[in-house]
Amino acid sequence: MHRVTLISAVLFIAPLALAAQQPTAPHDSVRGAIRAVDTRGRTLEVTTGVGLALRVVRLQVPAAVPITDQKGAQSAPINLAALKPGDVIRVSFGSRPTGFVAYTIERVGRMEVGVP
Amino acid sequence: MTRRWIALLAMCSAASCRRPPQPGDPLPGLSAAERAQFDSGRAVFDSTFTPQVGLGPLFNASGCGECHEDPVKGAGGDEVEHHAAVFHPERAAAMCDELADKGGPVFQDSVTPALHAALGIDREPRPPSVTVVAERTTPDILGFGLLDAVPDSVILSYADPDDKNHDGISGRPNRFFDGRLGRFGRKASVPTLREFNDGAFQVEIGITNPSVPVEGTVAGDPLPAGTDPAPEPEIGARGLELADAFVRLLAPPAPLKQSREARRGRDIFAQVGCTGCHIPTLRTGDNPIPALSHKEVAAYTDLLLHDMGPQLADICFGLAKPSEFRTEPLMGVRLATKFLHDGRAKTPEQAIEMHGGEGMRSRDLFEALPAADRAALLAFLKTL
Repeated sequence: MHRVTLISAVLFIAPLALAAQQPTAPHDSVRGAIRAVDTRGRTLEVTTGVGLALRVVRLQVPAAVPITDQKGAQSAPINLAALKPGDVIRVSFGSRPTGFVAYTIERVGRMEVGVP
Repeated sequence: MTRRWIALLAMCSAASCRRPPQPGDPLPGLSAAERAQFDSGRAVFDSTFTPQVGLGPLFNASGCGECHEDPVKGAGGDEVEHHAAVFHPERAAAMCDELADKGGPVFQDSVTPALHAALGIDREPRPPSVTVVAERTTPDILGFGLLDAVPDSVILSYADPDDKNHDGISGRPNRFFDGRLGRFGRKASVPTLREFNDGAFQVEIGITNPSVPVEGTVAGDPLPAGTDPAPEPEIGARGLELADAFVRLLAPPAPLKQSREARRGRDIFAQVGCTGCHIPTLRTGDNPIPALSHKEVAAYTDLLLHDMGPQLADICFGLAKPSEFRTEPLMGVRLATKFLHDGRAKTPEQAIEMHGGEGMRSRDLFEALPAADRAALLAFLKTL
C-alpha cells in the first residue's frame, strides 16, 4: 500500500516539480536600460520603447532566474546585485497574475558604451 | 540645325536641365513603385484622425500634417509641444528620468472630449517630481531619409568626447535605452527614422500601431474605461509603412544658387568654426533604396550631442545632459521661421548669438566680424 502511494505521489508530483523548474515559453522579451534594481524585493525596472514612446517594464526576478553577463561570445553567470542602472539587458519574461516575471536576463553592455 | 536642337533637347531632358527638388518633392531617382508609395504615404501623412478612428485620448495634433506643414507637408510648423524630465545633477551618478512610467517625456497638450468628460483635464498633467519642462518646435523633416541612411560609423568618426584635438568641440553620441546609437530628436535619442515615425503616431496623435500597440497612460495612470473607443491598433502595418515611405523619400530642399556674397559667407562659416559641428556633408551607406544609397547630403550636422551652455539647457534625455543638444541639421534652414529647439530665436542671427558652451567660440568670432562678413554668413545660410 505504502509503495503504491509513494509511486502515485512520485508520478503526480514529479511532473509538477519539473514544470515549476522549467520556465514556460517566454511570452515576450525586451531589451532596454535598467532604471532601478531592488535586490531585496528582487525586482527590476527596464526603460524601453519606440522613438519617443517610452515605457517602463517592471519585472519580478525569482531567485532561480539565470542572470548572465554577455561579453562577446563569452557568457558568465552574475547575480542580481551586479546589475546597475544604465546596464543594457535583454530579458525574456512572462505574464503572471502578480505581474511580469523574468525567465532569463542577459547583461549585454552599458548605455554609455553603446551596444550595436 | 534641327539636328543640333534635337541633340540639345535630348541632353537637357537627360540631365543638365533637370529641375532640382523643391521643398516637398520626393528624392530624385525613385522607381515607379517607390514614387507610388511616396504619393500614397503623403495621403496618410496628411490624414486627419478623429476620436472615432483613434485620435488620442491624449494628443498634440490630429495628424502629422497639422504640424509639419509650413511651407509644405514635411516641413516645420508653428506648433510648440512640451517634454519633461527629472534630473538631479547634485546627486552622485545622476541618471536622467524621462518619466517613461509617468507619461513622459512627451506630455500632450490636448485631450479628446471623452477624456475631458472622464477626468476634467485639458492636457496631460505633469508629475510634481518634474524638474524641467522643455518646449519643442516642430522640426523640418525634409531629407531625413538620407540622415537615416548615414552609417553609424560615419557619425562616430566625428565624435571627440574628450576633445583630444583641443578645438573646444567635443561631440559625443547619445544612445537609445537598448544601447544603439541615436540620431533623431533634438537630443539624438532615437536610432532610426522608422522608430521616430512609429513612436510619433502614438505620442503625438495617440494612434496605436503595430510598433506601439498600447495607448499611453495619463501621467502613469491607465485610461478611464470608455475613453478610447477605437480598437487597437488604430493604424495598420500598411498605413504605417506608407507614412514612413513618404517621410523617408522626401528630398531635402536643394541648396539655392549662391551669390558671390553667399559664397564668401560659406567660407566665413567655416573660418569661424561653425563647421566643427555643422559638418557640411554626410555620405549615406548601402541602402536598399537606390535614391538613398551612397549619396552626399548637405546636412550641416554631425548628429552628435554638444554642450550648448546653461542658457539653452532644458531636459535631459538618455545620456544627453540638460545642456546637450544634437547639432541641428541646417538643410532647409531657409524655410524656417523660428530657430533653436524651442523656437526662442526669431532669426538665424539671434540663434547664432544664443549659442553657448561648445558654440561660444564660434559665436564670439561671428560677433567680432565686420558687418559685411556677418551679412555674408547670413546670406549663405539663406541658401541652405
